[in-house]
Amino acid sequence: MIVFWLLALALVASAVFVITAKKPVYSVVGLLANFTALAIMYLTLSAEFLAVIQIVVYSGAILVLFVFVIALLSSGVAPFLVGPDRLPAAAGGGTIAALIGLALVVFGITQHPATIGPAGGAAPVGPVGTAGAFGSVADFGNALFTVYLLPFEITALILMVAVVAVILLAGDTGPSIQQRLRRKREPIVRDPAFDAAMHRGEPSSERAS
Amino acid sequence: MSETSLPVALINYIGLSAVLFFIGVAGVIVRRNPLIMLMSIELMWNAANLLFLAFARVWVNNAGHIFAFLVITVAAAEAAIGLAIVVVAFRRAKYVDVDEAALMKG
Amino acid sequence: MGVEGAYPLLIALWLLPMASAIALWAFGPQLRTAAGPIGAGIVGVCFALALFSWPDAVQRAHGALGAHLTLFSWGSGFDFGLLWDPLSLTWTLIITGVGFLIITYAIGYMEGDGAYARFFAYMTFFIFAMLTLVLSDNFVGLLVGWGGVGLASFFLIGFYIDRKTAVAAARKAFVINVVGDVGLMFAILVIVTQVGSTTYAETFARLGQFSNTALVLACVGIFIGCAAKSAQVPLHSWLPDAMEGPTPVSALIHAATMVTAGVYLIARCWPMWNASPDARDLAGSIGGLTALMGAILGCAQWDIKRILAYSTMSQIGYMVMGVGVGAYDAGVLHFLTHAFFKAQLFLGAGLVIHALANEQDVRKMGGLRTKMPFAFWAMLVGVLAICGIPPFSGFFSKDAVIYGALEHGHPYLYAIGVLTAAITAYYMFRLILVTFFGTYRGEVDPSDLGIRHPELAGMPPHAAPQAHHSHQPGPIMNVPVAILMIPTTAFGWLAIGPDSPWERFFGQLFAGGTHVEKVPASIGEGLSTLIVLALVLVGIGLAYLRYGTSAAREHAVERLRTESVHMPPVLANAFYFDAAIDALFVRPAQALGRFMGRVVDPIVIDGAVREAAIVAVSLGNRFRMLQGGLVRGYALTIVVGVICVIAYYAVMGAGR
Repeated sequence: MIVFWLLALALVASAVFVITAKKPVYSVVGLLANFTALAIMYLTLSAEFLAVIQIVVYSGAILVLFVFVIALLSSGVAPFLVGPDRLPAAAGGGTIAALIGLALVVFGITQHPATIGPAGGAAPVGPVGTAGAFGSVADFGNALFTVYLLPFEITALILMVAVVAVILLAGDTGPSIQQRLRRKREPIVRDPAFDAAMHRGEPSSERAS
Repeated sequence: MSETSLPVALINYIGLSAVLFFIGVAGVIVRRNPLIMLMSIELMWNAANLLFLAFARVWVNNAGHIFAFLVITVAAAEAAIGLAIVVVAFRRAKYVDVDEAALMKG
Repeated sequence: MGVEGAYPLLIALWLLPMASAIALWAFGPQLRTAAGPIGAGIVGVCFALALFSWPDAVQRAHGALGAHLTLFSWGSGFDFGLLWDPLSLTWTLIITGVGFLIITYAIGYMEGDGAYARFFAYMTFFIFAMLTLVLSDNFVGLLVGWGGVGLASFFLIGFYIDRKTAVAAARKAFVINVVGDVGLMFAILVIVTQVGSTTYAETFARLGQFSNTALVLACVGIFIGCAAKSAQVPLHSWLPDAMEGPTPVSALIHAATMVTAGVYLIARCWPMWNASPDARDLAGSIGGLTALMGAILGCAQWDIKRILAYSTMSQIGYMVMGVGVGAYDAGVLHFLTHAFFKAQLFLGAGLVIHALANEQDVRKMGGLRTKMPFAFWAMLVGVLAICGIPPFSGFFSKDAVIYGALEHGHPYLYAIGVLTAAITAYYMFRLILVTFFGTYRGEVDPSDLGIRHPELAGMPPHAAPQAHHSHQPGPIMNVPVAILMIPTTAFGWLAIGPDSPWERFFGQLFAGGTHVEKVPASIGEGLSTLIVLALVLVGIGLAYLRYGTSAAREHAVERLRTESVHMPPVLANAFYFDAAIDALFVRPAQALGRFMGRVVDPIVIDGAVREAAIVAVSLGNRFRMLQGGLVRGYALTIVVGVICVIAYYAVMGAGR
């Protein structure tokens, strides 16, 4: 139990640090701390596989992506923020909105306690590390590739779409399509040595070199 | 099958998730740096994940794990695309300030 | 009521004047001077048709009198048709006969006028409307004719469109007549609610169905219409101003026919009148009052046509009094004789006016007896008739009316009638003496005669390039006047005694109906006649003393000036009726109009429209702020929406 409260404290503190840090790099570090605490929390919830996935994908891939982009953007000399704050009401308004939402959720939860949910036909719960226990790799894989195969495939599709989108958006900094169309067709320059090398061994042709 | 399998009562997980979620909301609205905004959105995703896993543990139901997995995947895709947009915008304007991207005004 | 059948002559009689009016309207510029004879000819043909149809009017079959022609019917009880019985025959003969003579006269009178054809188009249109009024067999047709004659009167009073006073007089006449129209319409509505029909036959047959108040209301409504159209107090003030129209118009419309439409209406509704003593009291009293007032005001006028106008008002008061108290034959007889002698008087006055280049003020006349003898004799005959001197026709009819009032139980009205006869004699002889005796005062300076506004006198013929020169009228104007002298003189002999031709002709209208009881009169008819005659002679004597003695004739100019200057303002302003109407109705209406124009229209109506626009614009501005283009703003909006959803579920609970 104390673990939970410590982890909760870490989560909240790092989250607040993320949103209030001065530099983006600080935010990334805070986010890393947040994800790590979350992974430990998942472990306490018998979700071992997901804890590992959290570290591998979130901290290992997404945060690294963030760091790369920050590095890319920081390489310029322009500061991050130019121009005045155009919506000064957002600061106060956002905070208040968040607090109201929080209050409402808490109120709602206390009014209507959760009911018992459906049983899922999962493996029984066991101590962490038990093979085939609830939340283990085997259990997770079993569900993923049988009952939830379709969502899995769709997720693959989503990832492909993301890859294509990123390449289209941010890749290829060459001339734009219009520019390429406008560029005159360059004359094909024939290289006689190359041609000779290509056609070595063929019956001699009457083509002039 | 009962809440006693959790370290603490379920309500605490729900409250923690809500707090994390709304911290993320505040971050999206208050900060002007798009990178920070995207990170706040990641916070929100994670809050939802936490809630999924908590309920999965209470009801011993795999679906929560599956769904949390899918959430992580989609969050990754979204982060990638979002960052790509930020990069493209930076190439154009040489700075990133969300408030300046007000072409859709009116 | 009446024998059903097809009467093509009646249809022709009714519609020919309309066809003529349309033709003259449409082809006026091409016809030019031919318009006059065409108009007169058509009306003459109508007169002949009416004469030929005389037997149909007095035929009696199945116990009903006259001829009935149904034209079409809208629904049960709302048939529209023509009724041809002695009453409508009487009016038709006067309308077409006297109308023919007057329109012929007008061919000469309106000669040289720029809108010659338009005049005759209007006159024939008037004939058509008046015929519609008297020939209808239902109240709605009557109302249509009623409105039509009002319209024709408006056209003809305002015929000289360049003259502001004429236009104002036309408007005044029309507006006052509208009051009467409303009263008449109200009466028709009451009748429809009581018996569900508008035809005379059904209404009078079912009089028993009327409740008492409904009957009184209907009679009052009818009488309001009659009062407006026939210039009874208090709706009389349009008639003197209506003299702005050309003299033939005054003769035909405002003397002989249109103003008697009210008398016709009361006579037509005699069953209703017989059944309601309150209505009789009202009609008789107003008639008597009008007769007296008209006579008193006639003593104070200097315009020859206005003198005649007030005398018309007074004589119609007699007629209304006659038919109002229930003496229908006396009242209608007076209508007949009045049509003759009043037309004669107006046409004679027209001869004088025409000869003197549109001078109408009697103060500037004088001594015309030697210059225009024919006009003098014509007007003398008319004046003797109107005063009720035997053997002229007016004597018989006026006596019948006055004695009828006494017979039907109204001694006060009898006294008023007698007094009015005396005053009538006075001012009519004043007219004759000042106009035709003494020396001609046309060259005298107007202010010496006490004339305050010389520019208002006379009627410039519009669009005539040169001033009308003074000349003696030709035969086309003299012959109709001469013809009119005959009935003016002789018609009365047809009505002597209870079994006279007139009684036999007209009395059959009332056969089978209830009569108003006659009370035994306190004095015999012969004695009453003598009393009236004596007072008439007193009136003539007074007029002679004031205007006719040699001393009066010598000092005419000073006497006239003195009288003009010392005219009591009460009389000069016609008992302040015009001022009262102006203060009570005209000014408030104008103030209301100004208020609407200055306050309501710009502030309320325009303001409402502008406010709608302003609200739309400001709402749009508010909503525009939502589209700020800022990402964070949109995010905030989304979050607010999410919170609303959360709030809903937090309160209501999920799963509902």
